[in-house]
Amino acid sequence: MFSFTRARQSGRVAAIALIATGALVLSACSSNAPEATPTATGAPDPDATLSVGLVLEPTNLDIRHTSGAALEQILVDNIYEGLVTRTQDNEIVERLASAYEISPDGLTYTFTLNDDITFHDGSELTSADVVASYKAVQSDAAVQGNAQFAGVDSIDAPDATTVVITLTEPDQNFLFTLTGPAGLVFAKGDKTDLKTAENGTGPFVLDRWTKGSSISFDRFDEYWGEQATVAEVVFHYIPDFTAGVNAALDGTLDVLTAVDPNLAPQLEETGEFVITTGRTTDKATLAFNNAQAPLDDVKVREALRLAIDHDALIDAVGAGQTLFGPIPELDPGYEDLSDVATYNPSRARELLAEAGHEELDLTLTIPSFYGTTAAQVLISDFAKVGVSLEVKRVEFATWLEDVYTNHDYELSFVLHVEPRDFGNWANPDYYFGYDNAEVQDLYTQALTETDAERSAELLAEAARLVSEDHAADWLYNGATLTALLPGVSGFPEDSINSRIDLAGVTKTAD
Amino acid sequence: MLRYTLTRGALLVAGLLVSSVIIFLTLRVLPGDVAQLIAGTQASAETVEALRQSLGLDRPLIVQYLEWIGGVLRGDLGTSQLSGASVSAELLEKAQVTAPLGLMALTIALLIAVPFGIVSAMLRGHAGGTAMSVSAQAVAAVPVIWAGMMLVVVFAHWLGWLPAQGFPRTGWATPGKALEALLLPALTIGLVEGAMLMRFVRSATLQAAGQDFVRTAAAKGLTRRRALVLHGIPAVGLSIVTVLGLQIAGIIVGSVVIEQLFTLPGIGRMLVADVGTRDLVKVQSELLVLTGFVLIIGFIVDLVHHAIDPRQREAA
Repeated sequence: MFSFTRARQSGRVAAIALIATGALVLSACSSNAPEATPTATGAPDPDATLSVGLVLEPTNLDIRHTSGAALEQILVDNIYEGLVTRTQDNEIVERLASAYEISPDGLTYTFTLNDDITFHDGSELTSADVVASYKAVQSDAAVQGNAQFAGVDSIDAPDATTVVITLTEPDQNFLFTLTGPAGLVFAKGDKTDLKTAENGTGPFVLDRWTKGSSISFDRFDEYWGEQATVAEVVFHYIPDFTAGVNAALDGTLDVLTAVDPNLAPQLEETGEFVITTGRTTDKATLAFNNAQAPLDDVKVREALRLAIDHDALIDAVGAGQTLFGPIPELDPGYEDLSDVATYNPSRARELLAEAGHEELDLTLTIPSFYGTTAAQVLISDFAKVGVSLEVKRVEFATWLEDVYTNHDYELSFVLHVEPRDFGNWANPDYYFGYDNAEVQDLYTQALTETDAERSAELLAEAARLVSEDHAADWLYNGATLTALLPGVSGFPEDSINSRIDLAGVTKTAD
Repeated sequence: MLRYTLTRGALLVAGLLVSSVIIFLTLRVLPGDVAQLIAGTQASAETVEALRQSLGLDRPLIVQYLEWIGGVLRGDLGTSQLSGASVSAELLEKAQVTAPLGLMALTIALLIAVPFGIVSAMLRGHAGGTAMSVSAQAVAAVPVIWAGMMLVVVFAHWLGWLPAQGFPRTGWATPGKALEALLLPALTIGLVEGAMLMRFVRSATLQAAGQDFVRTAAAKGLTRRRALVLHGIPAVGLSIVTVLGLQIAGIIVGSVVIEQLFTLPGIGRMLVADVGTRDLVKVQSELLVLTGFVLIIGFIVDLVHHAIDPRQREAA
């Protein structure tokens, strides 16, 4: 999935988009402006309406069948819930389940449900609803998460409050999969049209969706857990970053997410907004077509990586931190791999000469909703080592067809926002065209390893191999900037391009 | 007249059918499809294929076309493949922004074009007339998007009189705010379209001034100017009506650009978004409705013209 930055379309897209456009926020943001001091000290207003500015609008609300950060961002935890969920820093915690147990062999997951959970239509949630929801994921290829459920052997409900899932082999990622759309629980046999309406269990209900403009949620007064601390939330979709900042300045918004780092000073200077910088798992991925000349030559790939001045690129983008391998800091298996591809343009030239390319023409295919900043930096960095880069900006749908499906490209740029998506490097059919048996083997071992720490070590080992093969370049790990009025507290900071859990967000009376 | 109406009506229907085929086929040339967009970048080929089947994208094109056009003929514009919402309902919702925007733009265009066009024709040869005519040439050549940005800079940023973008969430329940939101965008389209129309009005006026009936009236003792106003202007009005269809097409195109610039939730922005997401059934219906709208305006204009212009009646 992608994350935010501006895009059109499907959630994923969206997500990508988000990120893409530069809207990214990077964590290494270097703003030295003094932080605005919250001045509002009023008590939280339980009847408050919270207005949040977002970039990417969902294409529909059917999170079962539609991929994308734009849907997950607002629906998971707020409208729909799963047995487990994840915190801002990707820790797994119980949600509908009051407890869970994993057998020592890693094959059996036993969940106990909380009491008195009801769907928004008033019907009670039982283990039968969980079983029906998960069986749909397991059996229907069109449901999100179907591939991740390939190792599920059985899903049963021994009684009304217990769910038991058995796997054919251990899967270190399975519980994490349940924190995503695949793990959400829907009412059994429900006839709600999920594209336009909802029947979840979360602390909010869908109030209204004005397409192209906004989506609003109301507090669900019969929520089984802690009541939401605002009465209404309105998500305003503003694809243009400048327009987003204007909407914050004119008082339309209490919170603006995905603030363009280059525009953040405008908000800070007013002294009215607090800007937070959050971490993400957004990987700005400069993909190389490993299966095709000239990028099937590791020397060429290494040369391109050494030619990129990552620190300067991040300065230009305005936020983020360097990332020299496929696994970001928030995911298991992260280690600092900066030693693998330190900036060295003269070595890059030598490598190109060794590979027989004193001069090289390459084409970069990039979805048009990503800003031009990264591409401009790449053009000038590559020119310094004799590589002339042509940038082909295409609609995201075209990118999906040409690059993702047909692998018809040399270099590509998208923001891969999904957490724990290292598996793409172990999939020879993925658009990266990267086929390394050792990596595939290590990844399989990491997944089937029941000890989490050992699993992470195996992942780190595999990630180092991918980086040493220079299978791609990771331009940066995105950060996300959020601007808040001082009266708002409890708004999440990290990973909000894929999750905005509104539980506990409060706003003081104006 | 009846024969003319029937012939012209048949032409209209044929035009719509041809448009529908062209629209349908042209959209099929675009790379990518809605199933890939829904599935995203973690999806397997199997998932995309399963989605394609469930959306009916795997059927032969002729079947897809006939299903769509059959629905349209029954008055059903179909449902969005992405959102599952009815296309006609969404068109109606977005028309609440685009229709007032278009009407405001048209009004502004006429308010600019008619008086200035006539006056600049009457002042032909004078410095004032030349200045007007040159300004119109210049303004008509300005791209709508640039005009919009200039207006935003002046009225929204420098003067702060009007909002730079957006439409109130409350819509027309707050008519003042809604009108305010549409004023700058309408002014942008109206200025550019008005400048184009003004040149047309000017030449129509000059043409009318040279017509036999104006000269006859002048010969009967009216001043040239009075003859023009009494006998020429109605003829100019008629000429304006004939280009109205074109004007409206221009306004629709302008609104696509302007709605993007001002982030207005109207038909133009919806169309661009739907093309981007390859929601083709929806795009087809939207384009057909817009095309039909322009063709029907042309049809009405021709009928009116036929009914009131004595020369056309004789010709028939």
